[in-house]
Amino acid sequence: MSKMRYSRRAVLKGGAAAVAASALPAPMVWAQEIKDITLRQFGTGVSNLNDVANKVKEDLGFTLEMTALDSDSVTQRAATQPDSFDIADIEYWICKKVWPTGNLQAMDTSKIANYDKIVGIFRDGKLTPESTIAQGTAPHSVGFVDGPGGTSFATEETGWMTLIPTIYNADTLGIRPDLIGRPIETWAELLNPEFKGKASILDISSIGIMDMAMVCEAMGEIQYGDKGNMTREEIDKTMAIFTEAKKNGQFRAFWKTFDESVNLMASGEVVIQSMWSPAITAVKSRGIECVYQPLKEGYRSWGGGIGLSSSLSGMELDAAYEYINWYLSGWVGGYLMRQGYYSAVPETSKNFMTENEWGYWFEGKPATDVITSPTGDVLAQAGETRDGGSFYDRMGSVACWNAVMDENQYMVRKWNEFIAS
Amino acid sequence: MLKNRHIQGWLQASPLTLILIGFLILPIITIVVVSFWQATEFSIIPAFTLENYEFLFGSPVTYKVFFATFKYAAITWALTLLIGFTVAYYLAFHIQNQTTQIALFLLCTIPFWTSNIIRMISWIPFLGRNGIANSMLQSWGVIDQPLEWLLYSDFSVILAFVHLYTLFMVVPIFNTMTRIDHSLIEAARDNGASGFQTLIHVILPLTKPGIMIGTIFVLTLVMGDFITVRFMSGSQKANVGRLISNDISLLQYPSAAATAVILLITVLIVIGILLRFVDIRKEL
Amino acid sequence: MEKKSKSFYVLTAFFGLFILFLYGPTLTIGILSFQGPGGGLTFPMQGTSLNWFRELFQEQAVGDIWGSFRRSFALGLMVMVTTVVVSVMGGFAFRKRFAGSGILFYLIIASLVIPSILISLGVGLIFNQFGLKIHWATSGFGSQLTWTLPFGLLIMFAVFNRFDKSFEEAARDQGASPWQTVRYVVLPIIAPSLIGVGLFGFTLSYDEFARTLLTAGSYNTLPLEIFGMTTNVTTPVIYALGTMTTLFSLLIIGAFLLTVWVLGKRRARFGSDAGKGV
Repeated sequence: MSKMRYSRRAVLKGGAAAVAASALPAPMVWAQEIKDITLRQFGTGVSNLNDVANKVKEDLGFTLEMTALDSDSVTQRAATQPDSFDIADIEYWICKKVWPTGNLQAMDTSKIANYDKIVGIFRDGKLTPESTIAQGTAPHSVGFVDGPGGTSFATEETGWMTLIPTIYNADTLGIRPDLIGRPIETWAELLNPEFKGKASILDISSIGIMDMAMVCEAMGEIQYGDKGNMTREEIDKTMAIFTEAKKNGQFRAFWKTFDESVNLMASGEVVIQSMWSPAITAVKSRGIECVYQPLKEGYRSWGGGIGLSSSLSGMELDAAYEYINWYLSGWVGGYLMRQGYYSAVPETSKNFMTENEWGYWFEGKPATDVITSPTGDVLAQAGETRDGGSFYDRMGSVACWNAVMDENQYMVRKWNEFIAS
Repeated sequence: MLKNRHIQGWLQASPLTLILIGFLILPIITIVVVSFWQATEFSIIPAFTLENYEFLFGSPVTYKVFFATFKYAAITWALTLLIGFTVAYYLAFHIQNQTTQIALFLLCTIPFWTSNIIRMISWIPFLGRNGIANSMLQSWGVIDQPLEWLLYSDFSVILAFVHLYTLFMVVPIFNTMTRIDHSLIEAARDNGASGFQTLIHVILPLTKPGIMIGTIFVLTLVMGDFITVRFMSGSQKANVGRLISNDISLLQYPSAAATAVILLITVLIVIGILLRFVDIRKEL
Repeated sequence: MEKKSKSFYVLTAFFGLFILFLYGPTLTIGILSFQGPGGGLTFPMQGTSLNWFRELFQEQAVGDIWGSFRRSFALGLMVMVTTVVVSVMGGFAFRKRFAGSGILFYLIIASLVIPSILISLGVGLIFNQFGLKIHWATSGFGSQLTWTLPFGLLIMFAVFNRFDKSFEEAARDQGASPWQTVRYVVLPIIAPSLIGVGLFGFTLSYDEFARTLLTAGSYNTLPLEIFGMTTNVTTPVIYALGTMTTLFSLLIIGAFLLTVWVLGKRRARFGSDAGKGV
């Protein structure tokens, strides 16, 4: 029923929008009808927050429907069900997989007001002009195409973006310092027999393989040509090391979902594991000690962005651009940064954070007052500093990005074998 | 008249037939076809290949996983049969009052109507390293260290299976037992059979159809499961269902389809053998 | 056996343990759902409150619990009605022992024993290949029927196996048309079993996970939402939801049992009326 209503409305609007767009490019014209517009967004639970949808309704007037899924389902839906969404909130490595299907359309950067303020990572790949680009699927390498219909990625800024960057972070291992009782400095500790039966790794192949590579490299077992694009032999060797560890009972569990990692850590089932930043804060907010441990080999980083369905056009497309511009204008950025992520345009987000919050989350300064999450949970007391320090310290020591490699198909099958072994 | 009966029969069965064609036969055909197709990372290509089966049969993990599937099925079957039979026997022969009997029977079936996922995850706070079971055992002084194997192990997987599926054994066995003519049992006793002898020589053979139906339920549910194994083993163990669901989540549909075909054949062979021992339609 | 023997007490104890085993975990999460606002998903308890039930009625950070509940409820009703109608028709058809009914019977058994994920995968693939949109009310609905219909039909077989044909013959002898026989004789007799079929249809659908997993489309059903919540929720709100769904299931069973009871009463009364009439 709803589907029929939708299609009829879409037809009517499509026509109206075409007329409006040609006659009067100003968005004011359709302010009346914008209330009827519904954009369907899906993505991981990380940024598909109902608070964002509510704020969109308030600020922009239209309805944003959010569906939160796990990373694999997100990939699946983006690749196979183009009709089920208008806006895809996906990670850059997913984009590399999905873009060739033609389900997404390139975005005109000239319509993005804050484009020039987007951090360098997403444009030329460099955080600062001196930075070197980390291995893996770096966001800028899949961030641009040649034109509106481009199917292959461009190597430089072209004015046509695949995803508008929204959220990113540098990941490392999470530990329970109270249960470990000694400093942890290297990724190699994940396979240290000392933590037999108390370690965990995430069961999402594209991310897990990178954590594995960080570990194997840190152990000195494997020298990778490029961790983000392994050869079959490198994949075999990596999997062999981890399969051996699994057989020896190194791992307590694998986690696939955010919540599992929190519970594993909070309940003491696991003392060292791959983890995501807000999972650490979730453990901490229960009064349990938990550290997002910076390691000498550096971070494994990831980035997410918003992509538009290729079927979006007319008024819906205009609304989507409105939404993107609003997204980068600061409110969401502030909301995400106060959870420990980073915003693509930090300077606009600053306006939506207190000086204390900005100092703690972005500049790595000691908190001058209690730090709370957007939902009001206490995350840090005055005097505490963020694990890993400032934005430039953390994003500056990224060793690799989450990646999809040429041998992805092979890796995926090997991964399945590893999980099943 | 005869012809008319057949036409009428098919007419009345037509909605059923159409649904089964659309949502059972066609999907199976599709799976079989797709299992011979090629795949890229994100899409499937309709080009014939045997590669999926070659990879499947070429990997030692496949055999291990099929073995694990049979292991789970066999152990779960034995436990559910033992528990299910005992419970059904108690209800059918030891509870004389019919109202009490129905009430207790309903008490057994109520959890069946609630969400499986919820029932599964309910075990986790119970079995964990710092869970209720371990704290209790430790406070009683039975153990010094928490038992690691309570959670995320074969033990917890099978425990959850038994918890979820024993009812599928209880219900058909109870159903058959209530239909046993009590005069047979009295006759056995009059002839000097002990309670145990009556159980083995009279009740057990007469309950066989119920046991078979229960067996079919339990075996197919356990062999096709993927979510219980994932939750209860902390992703450390695998059965065939998980192999399939992993492939699906990694968008490897042809590979998933090939595994699915082999699983389907296995299940159908098992059920085919079981059906030789029981005429379901007659025994309901 | 009338005398309470030693084996009776042993078996009673066994039965008690079995019940404890069945209900224990549900009670565990029931208890955990009453934790204080600082509570987590595991013991120890952090205070007691109704906080998480209140939370359940407020909007979550992600997802849409009540939307998925409405969808599951609607889908459950759709599946229930379809299952009852199709099973009854199928049950009547099978009584005719029509040519080919054996094959159809084995299809029903196949539908029962086929691993759920295969249906999900197959239906998903078909819709995908033909460019159709998967939706809980189309692909999800059909997939669930392959699970509820075998149950419905097995119950119908059981019913008709026990059905005394002399009622029908009597009706026919009195000059009732075939339709009248069905409407006024057969259906009232099998009505309580139909309620059973409906109950199965509804609850099997309401709790179905695997068959809906790849066939539900953009909008989650409740079990999918619960599964999704294990992704995004780290608070006892998921236990509160578990407790609520369990209570809801109990409510449904209660309602059905009540209906059966009322029907039984009414029939008993009509039965006596009929007796007086003659």
